[in-house]
Amino acid sequence: MGLFREAERKMDQDPIKTIAEDHGHILVVDDDPQIRLLVSRFLQRHGYQVTGAPDGRVMMDVVARTSFDLIVLDLMLPGRSGVELCRDVRMTSQVPIVMLTARSEESDRIIGLEGGADDYVTKPFSPRELLARIRAVLRRTRSRNATEIRRSEIVLFDGWSMDLRRRELQSPSGTLVDLSTGEFDLLVAFVEHANRVLSREALMQFAKARSSGDPFDRTIDVQISRLRRKLEAVTNGSQLIKTVRGSGYVFASDVRIREGQSA
Amino acid sequence: MRKYIERLWPDTVASRAIMILVAALLAFHLLGFWAYRVGFESLAMAARDRGLAEHIVSIKRAIASTFDAPERDRVAHDLSSASLEVHWSNVSLVLGNAPATERAQIMEARLKELAPELAAESFRVGFADDGALGSGNADAYRHMMLVSVRLTDGSWVNFSSSALGANPHIDWSVIAVTICFGVGIVVVALLLLRWATRPLRDLAIAAERFSIDQTPQPLPENGPIEVRRAARAFNTMRERIQRLVTERMQAMAAVSHDLRTPITRLRLRSELLDDDATRDLIDADLGEMEAMIDATLEYLRGGVSSEAIRPIDLASVIETIVDDHLDQGHRVALIGLTSAPVLGRVLSLKRAFSNIIGNAIKYGHTARVTIAEAGDHIAVTVEDEGSGIPPADMERVFQPFVRLEESRGRETGGTGLGLTIAASVIQTHSGLINLANRAAGGLCVTITLSKAGLSSASSVSDAGQAPALSRVLWS
Repeated sequence: MGLFREAERKMDQDPIKTIAEDHGHILVVDDDPQIRLLVSRFLQRHGYQVTGAPDGRVMMDVVARTSFDLIVLDLMLPGRSGVELCRDVRMTSQVPIVMLTARSEESDRIIGLEGGADDYVTKPFSPRELLARIRAVLRRTRSRNATEIRRSEIVLFDGWSMDLRRRELQSPSGTLVDLSTGEFDLLVAFVEHANRVLSREALMQFAKARSSGDPFDRTIDVQISRLRRKLEAVTNGSQLIKTVRGSGYVFASDVRIREGQSA
Repeated sequence: MRKYIERLWPDTVASRAIMILVAALLAFHLLGFWAYRVGFESLAMAARDRGLAEHIVSIKRAIASTFDAPERDRVAHDLSSASLEVHWSNVSLVLGNAPATERAQIMEARLKELAPELAAESFRVGFADDGALGSGNADAYRHMMLVSVRLTDGSWVNFSSSALGANPHIDWSVIAVTICFGVGIVVVALLLLRWATRPLRDLAIAAERFSIDQTPQPLPENGPIEVRRAARAFNTMRERIQRLVTERMQAMAAVSHDLRTPITRLRLRSELLDDDATRDLIDADLGEMEAMIDATLEYLRGGVSSEAIRPIDLASVIETIVDDHLDQGHRVALIGLTSAPVLGRVLSLKRAFSNIIGNAIKYGHTARVTIAEAGDHIAVTVEDEGSGIPPADMERVFQPFVRLEESRGRETGGTGLGLTIAASVIQTHSGLINLANRAAGGLCVTITLSKAGLSSASSVSDAGQAPALSRVLWS
């Protein structure tokens, strides 16, 4: 485990990678001045330009004057809540938003995402987790293409339904099947590239893009076998993920997309 | 025997009141009956004695007025009645030396008093049972009172009465009436007292429910004044306890919640450290603090959650937990069903099972998890190889903030809330959680949840694919 973490840390410090990924202007909205300062300093260390705002009023002022690549928005703010602010921003702009939710209660996570946020991090968050989410969101919005699936959507395949917003997978019989973060990200990668052969390296890249700070230290094969096991336990062994000898894996299914009821 | 009496001893207010009522009424009834009986009997006896005396006198006169023997015999016969037999004879039926018993003397005195004419004559009174019988068969005169009156010519008129001195017989109809009275009183009293004590029963039920309900309803203040006062006192006490508990809970929740901001700051600050080793240690400590806060907040929620109840594949939830432990290098095995649909809240169930499996690893070094089907239930057993739990502590471990290894120092950490939370989650899912020490050593936790009604796709078995796959994942 330590070894993988080490490897990841080295990857983070890779100068070429840093230049390629970590640039942009981020607005941090949090009423705690210390957290605002510390998050700003941490993100600046990783190559971002950061502006801070203590509440919604200042935030709307700044957003009107400057254009940002991403907003980190606290849910619990004095005056107007993060959800309301998120909706207001969404009316005029598609700037990606990462919510900081206070509780790990499910309802709070959903509120954040239904307000139009792209992702969320629960407090107390680790800075690495925040950084991973920011990178993932930025990468997705920058390279958004036809096959990319946005978070506010529900994906259907072979009777299964996958809620990307709630990160939930439902079996054809309507039973909720629990997936780990890594397994879910892997399945998203498969679903986004259905019926295409994916190499282990490509899968690792896709999954990592979505990875939420949880050190991605299991081998991709272990992850795939676990995901397969969970899918096949319900469908009695019919294979959705097939192994292509020598080149990787293929997700063999017709994928349909249904827009989620976004607020 | 003593136990039997204790069981029979009336325990409710109603039954005690009925007992008192019946005892009092029965005593009253019996005393009244006795007083009536005594008064009636003395009156009847006086009338009877007077009648007897007059009878004796008039019969004696009638016999004395005839002179030839056969005529006297005939008159005596004619004047006999069912209660008073009369014979004329030359000898006295009552012996001259008959024992003067108390009742004979009383009778003699009374007859003399009632019929002064007899006093002048020679007459004898005696009871056959007392040995007053002079001649003949004692059997014929059993229980009879005998009176012999001497006529002027020296012959005797012998009276024998069966009505007198006969044992008083028991009047069964009076007793039957008394019993009917008693039964009637019990029935009426039972109905009335049940009605009268209902407010008390309601009070008791409300007090019992107080500990179970999350937000108990105030007790209606009705019924007799004592019960109204008790209900009011109970309501006041309930409000006070509720307020106290709520305040404590809020304080605890507020502190736990507010700690998250400084923890977030510390996480950010530690990230700025250049010393990797120190940073990892700080991160680990912060992780532990977060876990404690999460556990405390979860406990304060008391298993109640805003999450929706849905069909969940419990096997996949447990697999995720087990896989996570495997990744951390723990010894975990998972056996049994690969699909186990239950109705529930996924986050709560995940929390409950990760607490139980985490405990097995923490205190028992290994966790052997089995998912099985038992009728319309899913049974999950988690076995470890630790030292188990002393039988005396089996119930205590479910209490909040109880940590059994307290005496051995806090090397394992934790808040003592893990099992409390797990139990309250399982309870809100109408499930059962049971602890038992294994014969081979270690603890076995069994969780039983009802199966979801949905027919799972896995119920149809594919060729060569058994529905229950067995796999062991010792790492």
